[in-house]
Amino acid sequence: MSILNVNYAAILVDGLSFALPLLIIAIGGIYSERSGIVNLALEGLLGFGAFAGALFVASTVGLFATGSDLPMYLSFAFAALGGALFAVIHAVLCIKFMANQVISGVVINILSVALTGFLTSTINATFFGEASERFMLQTSPRWDIPFLMEIPIIGAAFTRVYPFMFIILIVATFFWYLLYKTKFGLRVRAAGDNPQALDAAGVNVSRVRFGAVVISGALAGIGGMSFAYSISTNFSPAIYMGYGFLAIAALIFGNWRIVPTFAACLVFGLTRSAAFQLLPVFDASAAVIDLAMTAPFVVTLLLLAFFGRSNKAPRALGELYDKSKR
Amino acid sequence: MAEQEILLEVKGVTKRFPGIVACDDVSLDIRKGEIYALLGENGAGKSTLASMIFGLYQPDEGQIFMRGKEAQIDSPNEAVALDIGMVHQHFKLISNYTVTQNIILGDEPKKRALGIFPYVDIKNAEKRIEELSKEYGLEVDPSAVISDLGVSVQQRVEILKMLYRDAELLIFDEPTAMLTPQEIESLLQIIKNLRDQGKTVIFITHKLDEVMEVCDRCAILVRGKLVDVSETKNTSPAELAAKMVGRDINFSAKRPTKAIGKTVLEVQDLRVEDSSGFPKVNDVSFEIRAGEIFAIAGVSGSGQTELADAVAGLTKVKKGSIRLNDCDLAKLNVRKRCESGIAYIPEDRQSVGLVLDFSLDQNLALKSYYQAPFCTSSLLNPTAFAERAEKLIEDFDIRCARGCKTTTREMSGGNQQKAIVGREIDQDADLLIFVQPTRGLDIGAIMAIRERILDERDKGKAILLISLELDEVMDLADTIGVMYAGQMLKVAPASTLTTNKVGEYMMGVTEND
Repeated sequence: MSILNVNYAAILVDGLSFALPLLIIAIGGIYSERSGIVNLALEGLLGFGAFAGALFVASTVGLFATGSDLPMYLSFAFAALGGALFAVIHAVLCIKFMANQVISGVVINILSVALTGFLTSTINATFFGEASERFMLQTSPRWDIPFLMEIPIIGAAFTRVYPFMFIILIVATFFWYLLYKTKFGLRVRAAGDNPQALDAAGVNVSRVRFGAVVISGALAGIGGMSFAYSISTNFSPAIYMGYGFLAIAALIFGNWRIVPTFAACLVFGLTRSAAFQLLPVFDASAAVIDLAMTAPFVVTLLLLAFFGRSNKAPRALGELYDKSKR
Repeated sequence: MAEQEILLEVKGVTKRFPGIVACDDVSLDIRKGEIYALLGENGAGKSTLASMIFGLYQPDEGQIFMRGKEAQIDSPNEAVALDIGMVHQHFKLISNYTVTQNIILGDEPKKRALGIFPYVDIKNAEKRIEELSKEYGLEVDPSAVISDLGVSVQQRVEILKMLYRDAELLIFDEPTAMLTPQEIESLLQIIKNLRDQGKTVIFITHKLDEVMEVCDRCAILVRGKLVDVSETKNTSPAELAAKMVGRDINFSAKRPTKAIGKTVLEVQDLRVEDSSGFPKVNDVSFEIRAGEIFAIAGVSGSGQTELADAVAGLTKVKKGSIRLNDCDLAKLNVRKRCESGIAYIPEDRQSVGLVLDFSLDQNLALKSYYQAPFCTSSLLNPTAFAERAEKLIEDFDIRCARGCKTTTREMSGGNQQKAIVGREIDQDADLLIFVQPTRGLDIGAIMAIRERILDERDKGKAILLISLELDEVMDLADTIGVMYAGQMLKVAPASTLTTNKVGEYMMGVTEND
């Protein structure tokens, strides 16, 4: 195989199909962290969201006409719901009980892996009568976008796209608007900078933070469901690949702002897909594919070394809100 | 002033915190359109009382009436609904937001784009804020970001925040504490303007001259109790001060010098540079003898702080020598210097003097925790900490809600400073360095600390006092050194210098020598 035979269109579209779920998870993280709550639980939230969506698909087989895409679209709603519900644990621990936010996040990640693995096997054995640790999903349709796909070079990004990419673009735009243009967004960002000021302005800080954390769960759930469709076409504990942590890296490089975070996600996505397509050119062994999977993480390490100092976290990030503090 | 309608009435309000009664059966009424001062020392309960009016705390007993109607103020929200506003001592502003965003936060004007999508209408808010700032003479750029603004402008933003919410009763909690004299002047003018435009103001302070200048009436609180309410035009600062401290105050604490002994500290040709190589302390030489207070006067930034840091070992010395009791300090680190007999009361008590989130007993042992009796065979001994703390609390009248287990962050500034002074004096060092020891404190605490400094001198300690308050230098010093632009411009016995003369040296004037 020569460098000329590399599928450049695949680099673009695969890169995007990885970058967009990462973006929506990272936006979830931005909501939580801009409100002042450290969220290391994204990994667990995306997994639990994907579990909830896949459970919906698995349990409604036969209710929908064969070949219908409806269950797929609905699964995203259920994934968001599942992620949101799971995030309530983090919110209650951190806000109501003032637990350490880092520990809470780590515990939720561990809990999510164990719980979804257990539930998947048990539900499969009890209700569907099979010994399996995964829920099968139907293959997602892939669309070619007329006209746009004919643009030279970037047109490749509009061939064989996943429907979830559009869902994510719409949801991401909505949450960008919510964060920067509305009352709620103004309050979320204030809560992460100076909660005392927000409180003095007569706003309930806990409620704002609670809302932000729940949103982070819902968005992570949508991202997790997207990975379930694009990477494996099923739900299994193999979904815990560390992409939640990659999303955290992306939002840190993006300085806790949505548009720069999108850029960081694109870098990660394109690095990953390029590694997949380019590495086999030099060596066809299977081990090289495993190496390709590490590409986004290697890039993360390099970026951290160079840009680690230049970013500014929300001022009150991780600070328990205690009214009596002077 | 004619009899006016009463806007706010406080009746028999009591508030207890664990171990302390912050407000004890306080009753007062505030008339519409007056400036009403709450005067008292730190910890007298002024802020607590104001916080109850603003709904941050709820009284344990008593009632609050607003416009004649009983008001249950459970949160700032309800206070705002009753047209009460408050400027806190530490501003409540979002640093990366604009002036406008800060002002509208919590009360955002909404609009709908295309009739569907709600958004915050910044443009209209900016217009409204501009109008308000013109109306009340509060100059501010609505689109500026808070972190780019100075303290006094941020304070104007806080005032605008209240006006934006149509507040009628404005509470200012120690508003002049962080301002320069010029800024204070303009703030007082703003407050007068507000009154002239029909607002009512509660002004919390411990500075008598401010009360005399702007306030119509003045309530004095002592340890949570209301002791007096007087019309300012019928009273004098001395009278107010006496009531505030509960005893007559001797404004000048001059005491004759006792025996002066041998040289304790000798500084020769000392030079300290900043990171860019600019000399902050430039070839300074002086000596301090046992039983002598050597006070350094100078305008802020003349190199005094760097000089003190160099002696204490916190800054690198470029050249010159520092000798304590004939021992060269150059090679000694901070701990060794402490052990060889230097006590240091730093300028920034909160970040250098204390570990704010540690308890009082731990803070009081910060310099000696590693020695017996605090630490024996590498184990800390909590009873020793508590015993030492109880003794110092007693000796230095440190007021703390929960005894030696109080977190120092919860304590008032005056008591934090008393704790540091107590800890350092307890070191029994030969040389005590006091940098701005009374900054930001109330009269009672200032007097207590000045007495302590004189006591130590009379015990035969050498004292290096650095103060920006010329009065303090004149009152306490035996010898005065004046620093100007890093140089020691003049060293002379205090008795040979007048305040005016020292003031001239501080400005760098030497020609009439």
